[in-house]
Amino acid sequence: MGNIRTCGVWLTALLALGLLSGCATTNTEGDPLEPLNRTFYNINDTLDKGLIKPVAEVYGKYTPKPVRTGITNFFDNLGLINTVANDILQGKMGQALSDSARFVFNSTLGIGGLFDVATGMGLEHHKEDLGQTFGVWGFGEGAYLNLPLRGPNSVRDAPDLVTSAYLNPIFYLNSVVTIPLAVLDGINTRANLLEATNVVQEAALDPYIFTREAYRQRRIYDIYDGEPPLEEINGEPDEEEEGVLSIE
Amino acid sequence: MTLPCLPFAWLLLLLLVIPLPAPADEATVVVSRLQEALLQSMKEGEKLGFEGRYRLLEPVVEEAFDFPAIARLVLGRFWRKLDPQQREAFLDAFRELSVATYAHRFDTWNGERFETAEEKMLKKDRRLIKTYLVKANGERVELDYLVHRRGENWKILNVIADGVSDLSLKRAEYTSIIKDKGFPQLLDKLHENIERYRHEGR
Repeated sequence: MGNIRTCGVWLTALLALGLLSGCATTNTEGDPLEPLNRTFYNINDTLDKGLIKPVAEVYGKYTPKPVRTGITNFFDNLGLINTVANDILQGKMGQALSDSARFVFNSTLGIGGLFDVATGMGLEHHKEDLGQTFGVWGFGEGAYLNLPLRGPNSVRDAPDLVTSAYLNPIFYLNSVVTIPLAVLDGINTRANLLEATNVVQEAALDPYIFTREAYRQRRIYDIYDGEPPLEEINGEPDEEEEGVLSIE
Repeated sequence: MTLPCLPFAWLLLLLLVIPLPAPADEATVVVSRLQEALLQSMKEGEKLGFEGRYRLLEPVVEEAFDFPAIARLVLGRFWRKLDPQQREAFLDAFRELSVATYAHRFDTWNGERFETAEEKMLKKDRRLIKTYLVKANGERVELDYLVHRRGENWKILNVIADGVSDLSLKRAEYTSIIKDKGFPQLLDKLHENIERYRHEGR
């Protein structure tokens, strides 16, 4: 898994670059790396349309629903360790306990996480990551990043790619197992997103910007655990005052 | 989680709605009227075809949304730079695209239903109507409607789906296109999308 380490170096370099160029632009329109991001967006898009999406479509068509649910549950369950770590970093101790219990029940009674027995027991599904933790701690998004193969991301959210890999048991297995599992995770995730990406392709006038804004807003929503303050959603209040309240 | 919540949500809704003066309860009505039409569009989707759904939804969508206000919000500082003809052309295209998008997307029914969860009072004649689109498998999409009082009526300003605000998405897209390519290009793209929905429409 040496490539992950190289990846870490790249990320650090990107972060430094992002911080240098992104500091001045704290508002939501800031996208100092837009030309580079668009390049990666186009590469990802070509790769997706030519290879990943067709594979995901075939996978989605021929994999029975219960099997897909099982696979999604399995990877979600392994991701819980990262969630628990970030529950603790965000000071959500109750949630850390309930997510740990979730992990224990689903890993045992749920046969290695294939079945989600915990939700039925009242243990709700949460997803926390290091980017959300930084957000809770008050860090801004920093520069928006569109990463090769990964898609939408940001200076604040990218370090989680490294930490969540280290906190995932799959990372410590033999690469003969790790790589096929990672591929399965990728295809399964892509298949789950088919409906959403079709909406983007249909509705977007500029898919790059559509994706960027949707990502940003979704992150704010996640940081505030689904209850973001309205100003964060509706944008610049001064424009709103002028735009709405002056028309009578 | 879903089932025990339902009676509670209704109770909450009743508690919120009953003590309020009549205009407040109108705020929720504007959303439920839209959602009833969307449900009808889904259920009769195949029979109606795209044009039928468009005709069904057009008056309801026109009535429910405050398009002039939304247009100003979406174009932000660029709105002031447009002349009256351009503003009118944008408003017409924007309205048409909104109706066409609903007519395109709400075309089949697989057991979905809408649920109103609560009405939140905001500052200055504004309310947030929190609703859910519940799929047959129990999956829920959170749909929040920001409504404001416009004269005698309540009108929708923004729809927020699972935290993603339609207004902000469009503002980001539209202003970027005007900035990089100019207003005529934006108008072209809006018309392109309307035409695409028409052609794909069954």
